[in-house]
Order: sequence, then structure tokens, then C-alpha cells
Amino acid sequence: MAEEVREGLRYTETHEWLKIQGDTAIIGITDHAQAELTDIVFVELPEGGKEIKKGEELCVVESVKSVSEIYSPISGKVVDVNKKLDDSPEIINESPYDDGWLVELEIKDKSELDGLLDAESYRKM
Amino acid sequence: MVSKSPLYNIHKDLGAKFTEFAGFEMPIQFSSIKDEHLTVRRSVGLFDVSHMSNVWITGKDAEKLISLTTVEDAKKIGDGKSQYTAILREDGTVIDDTIFMHVGEKYMIIPNAGMSTTVTKWLNDKAKEHNLDAKAEDVSRDFVILAIQGPKSRETLQKLTDTDLMTVKFFGCQYIDVADVHCIISHTGYTGELGFELQITPTKEAEKLFLKLLDAGKEFNIKPIGLGARDTLRLEKCFILAGNEFEGGRTPLEAIMSWTINWDHEFIGKDALLKQKERGDYERLTCLECIDKGIPRHGCEMEKDGEKVGVVASGTLSPCLNTGIAMGYLRPDYREKGNILEIMVRGKPVKAKVVKPPFVPKDWAQQH
Repeated sequence: MAEEVREGLRYTETHEWLKIQGDTAIIGITDHAQAELTDIVFVELPEGGKEIKKGEELCVVESVKSVSEIYSPISGKVVDVNKKLDDSPEIINESPYDDGWLVELEIKDKSELDGLLDAESYRKM
Repeated sequence: MVSKSPLYNIHKDLGAKFTEFAGFEMPIQFSSIKDEHLTVRRSVGLFDVSHMSNVWITGKDAEKLISLTTVEDAKKIGDGKSQYTAILREDGTVIDDTIFMHVGEKYMIIPNAGMSTTVTKWLNDKAKEHNLDAKAEDVSRDFVILAIQGPKSRETLQKLTDTDLMTVKFFGCQYIDVADVHCIISHTGYTGELGFELQITPTKEAEKLFLKLLDAGKEFNIKPIGLGARDTLRLEKCFILAGNEFEGGRTPLEAIMSWTINWDHEFIGKDALLKQKERGDYERLTCLECIDKGIPRHGCEMEKDGEKVGVVASGTLSPCLNTGIAMGYLRPDYREKGNILEIMVRGKPVKAKVVKPPFVPKDWAQQH
């Protein structure tokens, strides 16, 4: 099955996506990342209000046999987390770009967005 | 050096993801660990476990050598029977846990992955020290081991053999022809389900047998199973994984294997075990089921009232229970059924309670 790369999102080389909405960014993992992880069974999300620097741990995604740290692609303050993942982490597998989003950050430094990939460059990786 | 299973190319064609385990590059999963796990619990799965070792023990004192070097009295295990046992050092700690099979005049033991050289040398050294006419020969490279496990395993296998598999009793072993491949079958496994294991040589015979078994199990939706599900299946049944549960040196009393010890014979390590048994206050392997969300992993610390009381030897999410489960060593006063401990996962306490093994009962699939 072909892995989806959605137009209009920004991407990282480590398989996170960002949806920029004015001053905030919604962050998730790509279809490729969820397919590699398979069976996501636990997600540890950050506390609301937490300040996270670019490159710091944003959350932890666990499959049956693996623990994967997701590092924040940008700096910012946590304004929302996807609480549905507490009870249904498998949503990330089912809907990585929509219902399976992870965290919403208030963007601290818009210049950090310049280093992100667009859909076409991510697809070419 | 990393070895590959003789079935590596077949696994690759079947879409396996690989991992390195004890020097072997083996499939960790084909579809997904959860899917493979539930396939074995509900129907049937096929495992390549060629990373496990094969050692022949021959000579007129073969039986004596096994009795001396394991906690079992081999006299009691007649031709056509196999036994799960442990090989101990003089201090009572386990070198390896293994199954030995009594086939005709010979015995075959199945040491764990990466343990064949150690075990073979130990057995030959002990034979020499005790003037026994017995020889251990490492033939791991000559064999492929397949395991077919799950409630539909017997029906699947039966299609490919004229031997009535109902005559192969639990822990029985014998030569058999499966799809014209001559091999040793044993009614054994590492999943807690109905199942069989096949010792196949030469290894090229195993390729066609692997594919024929997948074909025979089609009506039951048989799947190839990787090491990921093998680990979660065994952990739900509280079976020991040598590299985890014997880490740092553990005796069979500590590992809750006393049921395997035959005290009526002399064996290496017996004196140390008797002394430990008399003392009685040793740590014992304990099963913990998480109450809070969170997945305990190997190395996580276990705490009681903020104090460290042990370390998780094996931990995972149980695909059947959908909760975290763990095994670790605890002192007797912490391991009473229902006692609540905290397992530290990334610095956060995850509450877990002591339960009786196994985590997942035998009739789980019928009830779910």
C-alpha cells in the first residue's frame, strides 16, 4: 500500500508533519512513520503550557516492542494535546494526518519553519 | 558476526522486518506483532526458530552426562520423550535452560541462541572430568527449527503427514515424515498454545517444508510469525527468556523452576540449591500486571513506597489483555498476590499488582 504524503503540510527528515495555522502548528507523525512503527499502543504526551525547545523530546510513542521519542521540530509552548490518544493510541495508525495528531504548539520563532520540507521534498526522500 | 537463517530469503519475500538477536538476523515481524500474536492465540502461526541451537549427545554414558549436568534425572525420560530443564554452574546459577529430547540411542538438546559453544564445551568438559563415555556435538548449523503453534496447528500439520499426530503426546518426540521431509517432531513450544516443533536437516529441506506448511494452513489463515510476537506470547504465559530472566546469574529456585528439579539424583549445582532452599529468603521471579497506563520494559526499576525493590527483567504490552505486564525478581515479602508496586517508566510511577502466572489463561481465545 502506498504511503500518503499530504499536500499543504510541512515535513521533517525524521518523519514528523506540521500543519501551520497562523501562530500555532499542529504536529503529528507521517503515514510512513506509523507504518514503520506498526501497532502504536501507548503515547506519552507533554503537559499543557510546557515550553519545548526545538530538538527536545515532545512526546513518546510506543509500539508493542519499541519506544520512540518524537523530538520537537520547532520551539514553542504546548497549547493543546490530543487527549483521545490516551485511550485510543491506535488512531495514529488509522489516521496519522487527521484524528491521530499529537500536539499543538504556539510557534515561538517563525524562522525555524524555513528549515522544514514541503510535501514534494519529503516525498523525494 | 551476524548469521542468517537458511530461510532468510523466504522471510524477505514474505515481507519480514528483521532484527539482530544473539548474533542472528531474524524476522521480528511480518504483518504486525499484535496481529501475529492474536493469530497464534486464535488459530495457527509458523515460526522459524533456527537461531536456537542443536547439540547431539551420544555415547554409552549420554544419559549419565545429562543427569549430571541438568536438574533432571535422565533415567526418568524414556525414548520418545522430551523434558524442559536447566544446566547449572556449581554455584547453582543457570548457564542455560533447554529442552532435551530422547530419540533412540541419542539425545538432542536445544540450547538458546548463541549458547551452543558454551553448552557444548561445558558438557564435554564435564564428561572428561567425570570419566563419562559421552560426547556433545554442536550441529546447530545443520538444522533448521520450525515451530507451528496455535489451536489449529495439529490440523494443519496433520495434512502433511501419515503419522497420527494424536499419538505424539505432550512433550513426546519422534522421527516423522512431514511432506516427505524426514525430521524430528516434538509436541512442545514457547507460546502456551497447542503446538509442535520440527528439527530439520539438511537445512535446504526446510525451505519447501516452510512453504508447504503455510499452504496447508491457508484455510485457518496461518501466518508467519516473527520474534516480536514470540516474545509477547511467551511473556503472557510467564515463560523464561534466558537472556532476560537469568541476567546477572539466577538459580532455578529464584526463577520459579523448582518444578523442573528432580532432587533424587546428584547433579552439578545441587548443593548450592539445597543451601539456598534452606535459607529461603531469596528473591523470586514475580509477575506484575499494570493498573495504570504505561508499558514496563527490561531494566525499569520497581519501587515500593519510594524505595527500589527490584528491576524488571521482561516487560511488554500484553496484546491479549491490552495492559502492561512484567516479570522481575522480588523478595518474598513483596510478592504476595495483590501487592501493589510502582514500576518507574521514564521517571514516572506506573502502579502494578502482583498476579499469579500465567497472565493469560489457557482458554483466553475461547472467551474472546
